[in-house]
Amino acid sequence: MDDDMVFDPSLKKKKKKKTGFDIDAALAGEQGESTSVEAPAGTGDVDLPEDDNLDLDNFGKKKKKKKKAVFNMEELESTLPETPPAEEPEQQEDEVIDDLDLDIDFSKTKKKKKKKNIEELVLEDDTKGEDQENVEDVSGDLWSGTDRDYTYDELLERVFDIMREKNPSMVSGKKQKFIMRPPQVVRIGTKKTSFANFTEICKTLHRQPKHLLDFLLAELGTSGSVDGNSQLIIKGRFQQKQIENVLRRYIKEYVTCHTCRSPDTILQKDTRLFFLQCETCGSRCSVASIKSGFQAVTGKRAAIRAKTA
Amino acid sequence: MSIQNLNTFDPFADAIKSSEDDVQDGLVHVRIQQRNGRKTLTTVQGLSSEYDLKKIVRACKKEFACNGTVVEHPEYGEVLQLQGDQRENICQWLTKSGLVKPEQLKVHGF
Ligand SMILES: [Zn+2]
Repeated sequence: MDDDMVFDPSLKKKKKKKTGFDIDAALAGEQGESTSVEAPAGTGDVDLPEDDNLDLDNFGKKKKKKKKAVFNMEELESTLPETPPAEEPEQQEDEVIDDLDLDIDFSKTKKKKKKKNIEELVLEDDTKGEDQENVEDVSGDLWSGTDRDYTYDELLERVFDIMREKNPSMVSGKKQKFIMRPPQVVRIGTKKTSFANFTEICKTLHRQPKHLLDFLLAELGTSGSVDGNSQLIIKGRFQQKQIENVLRRYIKEYVTCHTCRSPDTILQKDTRLFFLQCETCGSRCSVASIKSGFQAVTGKRAAIRAKTA
Repeated sequence: MSIQNLNTFDPFADAIKSSEDDVQDGLVHVRIQQRNGRKTLTTVQGLSSEYDLKKIVRACKKEFACNGTVVEHPEYGEVLQLQGDQRENICQWLTKSGLVKPEQLKVHGF
């Protein structure tokens, strides 16, 4: 999936100055939640499940933040002997170059917390050494054989050890990239908007143009169609930022897995309902069907009356 | 008399509820539509029919200093229409007044 999702950075260089596409905001809500749970547990692992996702955060705009992230990541890795750092430097370069980079994000507050924890854990790991290896063997746990109760931190560590053991790929620092160009939005005249790379974005997202079209039009409360040049012509005036917002919501609802947020998903229609099937974690959940809902009459009423009469 | 502790509680009740989406999905859809030029229109669909929408619109018009009306729709019931982008205003107002729970609100648009 890396291959087809990653855009050649060289393709993109010209676009550098374009505003980024911040899909993360869309996921921010979720991320906030997951952070609070996962951050304390983020011990010892550069690549936690949450990182395996489409974190559409660093779409551009935030170059500074990105650089910070890179810096932190290097630090993280150096504290972590078991993580092969080989792959990272390259990707970091990508991140700096690429605007529209839906790459996994190490940014923001999460980072600090995690880093602290990692250091702690590395120390602990060193001291504990081998008994941690077989986690299922209860004798490996500190509280076994004693009267005392286990602590929350110990339990967290235990579950993460198990996770790492069962999913070696998680530890190996393999990251999924999901890079998308920003929508190219141009005004046509005063009343229409062209979304020029609509078809391309559909391909990137592996979704039927019709599905995305339905969603866009329903959300924007307008009408439109794909023209001969495979660009989407929308009635009304919309800015790139606005289209991005809607796209972000689309991705959150219909592209990324609701469980693990992997973008490697299939949208299936099954008896009137759409299901999102995740190729990464196997979860399957129904997604909201697209409805325009109530549409107010905005045109010239006289014209409508003339048409219907 | 019932002993509350023995009542079965379905932890997924709300999940089921939100997945079956019909017109009466319990959600209040707040949408925006463009009119001519820079003008926009906010619509609120799905407010319970137990509420007096006319009273709500009167209060909103005053509060947000905009015009508004109630439209009767055969499928969606009574729909509130307000001039301009009142999405934030109306969401705040509806939750503050306790008419709608925050999780019931679904805001559409750009
Ligand atoms: Zn998944």
